[in-house]
Amino acid sequence: MNLARLLQLASPALPVGAYTYSQGFEWAVEAGTVKDEATALAWIGDQLEWNLGRFETPLLAQMMIAWKVGAGGDENATALDAQYLASRETSELRAETLQMGYSLRRLLGELNDLPVEFMTQIAVPPAPTFAWVWSGVATVWQIPPAEALTAWLWSWAENQVMAALKAVPLGQAAGQRILLEIGRRIPAVVERALTLDDDNYSNFAPGFAIACARHETQYSRLFRS
Amino acid sequence: MQFAEPIIVPWQASLDLGFERRGDGTILAHREHIGPLRIQKALFPEGPELCHAIVLHPPAGICGGDQLRIDIEVGAAAQVLLTTPGAGKWYRSAGAEAEQLVTIKVGAGGTAEWLPQESIVFDGAQARMRTVVDLEEGARYLGVETICFGRRASGERFERGSLRLSSDIQLAGQALWHERGHINGGSPLLHSPIGLAGFSVCSTVLAAGIATPPEVLSACRTVAATEVGAQWGVSALPQLFVGRYLGHSAEAARRWFIELWQYLRPVFIGREMVVPRIWNT
Repeated sequence: MNLARLLQLASPALPVGAYTYSQGFEWAVEAGTVKDEATALAWIGDQLEWNLGRFETPLLAQMMIAWKVGAGGDENATALDAQYLASRETSELRAETLQMGYSLRRLLGELNDLPVEFMTQIAVPPAPTFAWVWSGVATVWQIPPAEALTAWLWSWAENQVMAALKAVPLGQAAGQRILLEIGRRIPAVVERALTLDDDNYSNFAPGFAIACARHETQYSRLFRS
Repeated sequence: MQFAEPIIVPWQASLDLGFERRGDGTILAHREHIGPLRIQKALFPEGPELCHAIVLHPPAGICGGDQLRIDIEVGAAAQVLLTTPGAGKWYRSAGAEAEQLVTIKVGAGGTAEWLPQESIVFDGAQARMRTVVDLEEGARYLGVETICFGRRASGERFERGSLRLSSDIQLAGQALWHERGHINGGSPLLHSPIGLAGFSVCSTVLAAGIATPPEVLSACRTVAATEVGAQWGVSALPQLFVGRYLGHSAEAARRWFIELWQYLRPVFIGREMVVPRIWNT
């Protein structure tokens, strides 16, 4: 595996603007649900376990399989993109994945590294999701799915923790303690995601959905979701 | 002394309804049922254009092994509102899973409102609820689904069993809404702030087929819950309105929905709100 490529893909330096989104976390702080290190860990940990771990992550694994099978144009990959987009249940969550998908696709066009067939395929959807473009790059760069999913969850967790540092606020050491704990949980989540039967997928998270919806009208805010 | 599980033969029931536009009105053009699923006669409290139909499941509730299938087809320009006469009850199961599949297809210019009363999932139930809405270009849909986790009034919580939810809306072949839920009795998700947050009632309002005008979204945002401590939120996506409610009272959740409905119905259905009389009985 090309570890350097994986680190590049998962880095906060990837210019797609991930740091501008909190995914409802900022509202959870406003509402008093998250108020310290323990409650921040509870929110992020529950998102990992009950939402991302049982829907987004296994779907990302499916996307990677579809990308591999369909070198040059697998319809299933595009269908999974549409499925992912339809699972974004507030306007800000939807805007987030579309903006990041757009930015990543545009960036790829300037890297001159990816095969022409791949660049042709990602040009097909007018507005691809970030998960779909990202999973395609990970596949083309031959990152094994377990490592790719681990990196995906890690960069998400880092981003959530960065939001926590600003929004709660928390100190740097508290943020690193949360990341230590989330890092401890990620391997089991990834292992389950790789084999999760789609009958057991679950993105039902009404508390999260309400936080994201309420964020749309939050009076004072730092983040775009 | 030992008590045996009551012997219940599972029901396989289905109801197929086809509505069509004839002249100025909507008619129930096709109805077919197998097993205990029925429709009370078609009602026209708002005039001939829009048909109200009440879907009956005469057994008191849904038991393990039951399979209910409801297929609604609304033809081009036909208008239909469907509801149920009371709460749906999903009983404790000795192991077999009960399943309900609702499929709603709506043709161009047609509208469907799927407004069943709340589903109460008893402790120990093994339930699977699936709703698939398929809209042609120009069709509209407005629905609410309310789930009560356990019979809270009698102090019961959803501590054992399992609930699987599956909800999809397609418009002109494009996925608009896609949700899956797998909630085990006693799951930490029931208490997590990202999940049920300790509440026992969850409502989801979905309206599809047209963009929500900004002033309607603003009006919907002002609708507050009438029960203390409840949480709610609304959002407008392209061609899809989403509302979520968490509380302890199905009655309060319905009041919240009715207030939203008053704003949403003129946009999505093209008519003023008319609360079905059966809800008041």
